[in-house]
Amino acid sequence: MRSFRVAYAIARKDLLSEWRSREMVPALAQFVVLALVIANFGFQIDSRNAPAIAPGVLWLALVFAGLVAFGRAFTAEREQHTLEAVMMTGAPPTAVFMGKALGAAALLVLCEAVLLPALTLFFGTPFSPELVIAVLLATVGMSALGCIFAAMVAQLRARELLLPLLTIPLWIPFIVAGGQAVQVAMGAGGELDKALWLLVDFDILFLVLTSLAARFVLDD
Amino acid sequence: MTRNRYNLAAAGAVALMLLAAGAIFLYAPTDALQGPVQRIFYLHVSSAIAAFACFFVVLVGGVLYLWKENLAADRIARASALVGLVFTTVTLVMGMEWAKPIWGVYWTWDARLTSTLVLWIIYAGYLLVRRLATPGRQAARFAAVVGIFGFADVPIVYGSVSWWRTIHPGPVVLNDALPPAMLATFLFTMFCTLTLAAVMVVIRYRIETLQDTMPIAEVVPSGAVSATNA
Repeated sequence: MRSFRVAYAIARKDLLSEWRSREMVPALAQFVVLALVIANFGFQIDSRNAPAIAPGVLWLALVFAGLVAFGRAFTAEREQHTLEAVMMTGAPPTAVFMGKALGAAALLVLCEAVLLPALTLFFGTPFSPELVIAVLLATVGMSALGCIFAAMVAQLRARELLLPLLTIPLWIPFIVAGGQAVQVAMGAGGELDKALWLLVDFDILFLVLTSLAARFVLDD
Repeated sequence: MTRNRYNLAAAGAVALMLLAAGAIFLYAPTDALQGPVQRIFYLHVSSAIAAFACFFVVLVGGVLYLWKENLAADRIARASALVGLVFTTVTLVMGMEWAKPIWGVYWTWDARLTSTLVLWIIYAGYLLVRRLATPGRQAARFAAVVGIFGFADVPIVYGSVSWWRTIHPGPVVLNDALPPAMLATFLFTMFCTLTLAAVMVVIRYRIETLQDTMPIAEVVPSGAVSATNA
């Protein structure tokens, strides 16, 4: 019970500080729109090839926006040494980690709230509940993994360099299954259920693994 | 005395690899369909198995370190990660050499190729974490976490990609599809490659131990130090 309270408090603190500064969300939204602009000129997108290209653009934009979001998740904590203070309160490391992951995931969801409509608006691809479910399911596991490595690299040199190298390989399962789900949701053939259940499995597995690892990454 | 033993082990491993080369090129029959290209198979599969064995040691070493804070476990994980990365590189390069004449392309996004590439990237990241973290407890802990996640990730990448597409040949050895002379060559090559990997890990372990426990001046002969400084 206490763990839930700690996680909630940490996530609330992160979101409140974002609400007061309003730095990350506008920047991420702009970043996502810019990614769509680049995709448009890179691929020469028209109404015929859009359904084939849009899923790829979605995941590229989401992965890189995610890296930016998670890369920033521990910046303030590091600069002000607040993470040490939080750990000294005796709060369970897993709960602190979950709180941080929840806060970062919320930012990523806000970013998706811009990305998905923008994709429909600019590329004319269908916007469906299946699409939203697939992206949200992938966000759960991706946030857990992104956050554990963000916590790790925050304590290292060359952190901007190392975060993508560690995170992207572990995100690949989510991109494979999520990519398949989004392709089906945008009109390609295939089994949507299988891809979605696979995403659920990955979420459970990596939530368990990251909560176990949190102790070793945060508690130094 | 100890130095002699390491030299002997290294020489033995090299001799075994030369014998394996002899078996591959002189003893094993030429494949009826693929021709001489098929000879890549022996070392390709052997080094893949050696690489997986190394990464399994990294996993076990990482778990042992996190559990017991055992420094030797961490050093053996460190040594195995490097050797495993070398064998993964060999596997990838030889696989591409084989794929070009047989499949017509060097690379395809098949489950095995993708997961092997991801494996390579993850353990390259593992070595980077080791380099960038503060040496000691932090480096060992973080690397152990990366090693454990990496080992969990690779079968998943394999599984998730193979849901949708795969063209890599199946496990011919287990399916009893090899003629006896080829099977003998393969088993011998695998034995030699695993021995080579083990010897490399042992030597690397020795280097890691020396680096951890001795001041630099005692590890590196004084001539070598001044040479690198100059």
